[in-house]
Amino acid sequence: MSTRFEEVEHTADRALRIYGRNLTELFVNAAAGMNSLLVAGVFGDAGRVAKRIELEAGDAESLLVAWLSELAFWAETESLIFNWFDFMELSPARLVAVVRGAPVQALDKHVKAVTFHNLAIGRHPEGLVVTVVFDV
Amino acid sequence: MVRIRDLRRIDAYLYEIPPSFRPDMRVPARFYADAALIDNILGDRSLEQLVNTATLPGVVNHVLAMPDMHQGYGFPIGGVVATALPDGVISPGGVGYDINCGVRLLASQIDVEAIRPHLDDLASMLYANCPSGVGKGGPVKLAAGELDQVMEKGARWAVQRGFGSAADLERTEEEGCLAGADAQKVSTRARDRGKGQIGTLGAGNHFIEVDVVDRVADDAIARRLGLFAGQVVVQIHCGSRGLGHQVCTDYVDLFQKAVHKYGIDLPDRELVCAPLSSPEGRDYLAAMKAAANYAFANRQVLVYHIRHAFEQVLAGKLNHHHLFQVYDIAHNMAKLESHRVGARMVEVCVHRKGATRAFGPGSDVLPPVYRDIGQPVLVPGSMGTSSWVLVGTEGGMSQAFGSTCHGAGRTMSRHQAKRSVQGPALRRELEAAGIRVRAGSMAGLAEEAPAAYKDVDRVVDVVHEAGLARRVARLAPLAVIKG
Repeated sequence: MSTRFEEVEHTADRALRIYGRNLTELFVNAAAGMNSLLVAGVFGDAGRVAKRIELEAGDAESLLVAWLSELAFWAETESLIFNWFDFMELSPARLVAVVRGAPVQALDKHVKAVTFHNLAIGRHPEGLVVTVVFDV
Repeated sequence: MVRIRDLRRIDAYLYEIPPSFRPDMRVPARFYADAALIDNILGDRSLEQLVNTATLPGVVNHVLAMPDMHQGYGFPIGGVVATALPDGVISPGGVGYDINCGVRLLASQIDVEAIRPHLDDLASMLYANCPSGVGKGGPVKLAAGELDQVMEKGARWAVQRGFGSAADLERTEEEGCLAGADAQKVSTRARDRGKGQIGTLGAGNHFIEVDVVDRVADDAIARRLGLFAGQVVVQIHCGSRGLGHQVCTDYVDLFQKAVHKYGIDLPDRELVCAPLSSPEGRDYLAAMKAAANYAFANRQVLVYHIRHAFEQVLAGKLNHHHLFQVYDIAHNMAKLESHRVGARMVEVCVHRKGATRAFGPGSDVLPPVYRDIGQPVLVPGSMGTSSWVLVGTEGGMSQAFGSTCHGAGRTMSRHQAKRSVQGPALRRELEAAGIRVRAGSMAGLAEEAPAAYKDVDRVVDVVHEAGLARRVARLAPLAVIKG
């Protein structure tokens, strides 16, 4: 899949259209997309910090919001950016993953929250697509 | 998409989308604009979002949007929606993630010409004293259990800790403390995000700005507020930081289930809501009040840092550098109020998301010092442009649940602003205009470029002419401090 995510114009906040061949790839690409908002350019030292994340939700969209909110929390509170993801379990209702990353000196953008605005994971010819609006 | 042919013009500045526009609308959707602002408004999806709010259970009269409206998520920014108690709904997304984001205005007795030689030092000291930027913590350390006091006492906690005075509280909406806040309804994660951020500005469109009163539109009321032409004043724009963001996140998630439980069908999942009479609705209201109190306390501690900066820079050089508080308002909040619905006064929950309460003269919730002139309203413009001080009117009470605009309102996306404006060039442009800039992020500065916003003077003209609020004084920027 050539495009992992792309920015969609939004008057006040930031929105990303995210693609993935399956749910795992969609969640990885969503995290990469949010990282692109948080930090401009590349960041090294992947793997210096690891965390195990377990989340449950009522449906895949709620789980996606919970996943991105979890990563945004670590970015805000400890300047941690995760860029390596290993999903041990991922269904529309439950996620278990180990994520690895590193602290950055400064974040370029504050993601206050991940919204449910018009949130719906849909199908497209190569798999799944979703548009996420971030409150920034 | 809403098109111009879908609009019905009610008067010179008021338009309506009738309930016949979409079968799920329970009430009409109204908004205030002039001919030029209409083009901006039709240029994004804000009217579609406003129509969506007209579907909320228990909504009364009409949903409204102010002339600074623009596309948000769920509710449009600039939206005002009232639902009737006991079974009307409360929607966390109708308040927004930055609960009790608001504006505080401080005023000095200093004339602008006297402060000009000290502006560089003052801007640098304000930037040094007031922590800003993404996730930045502040110097105020809370003892065990003290965060609960912040959430339940608001600015009163800050004054008890020595960060302000009783006079500050008197001139703050709700005296800086919403009754009924319950810290136990706030999650551990929200506490984790908020515990180190008291007295910090944050990032995004939040700012501290040193201004001069450059135009007095109503001399009598300006004098009552302690304002005069040429006077140096300070605005603070910020909210409840990570704690408030997390409270909204938690309850938007929780309410995804509540809408099924209560059989509520909505056009957008961000609008999720629960009846005010339900356990979920009561819990959110109590948690929202806790976050709102945190925001009142946050702005109060920032006032302390700002006063200290004035003291450090101006003591021994200028007399009368003390800053007194004019007022403090919230523009992201849900409040239980009494308003006319048909022929009766009804208890309603007024959601104001990017809109300001603007109660008219005589309201008994206003402090005695302002009760006969109406509530002061603070409308910050975009960076580098004017801001306004207004007062609430009887017209605002009868038309708009005692509400008015909250700012200039964006017209350009942050993405587009960054593509078309370079932060360093913008900084040079502002400095060339005599405006000192202290900012942690040049990209963030570019996103807030004046070109990305509507003309605040035009927005204020509309609310004044429509009778929602009255112009009192205009402020022009001297120094801007941003994260």
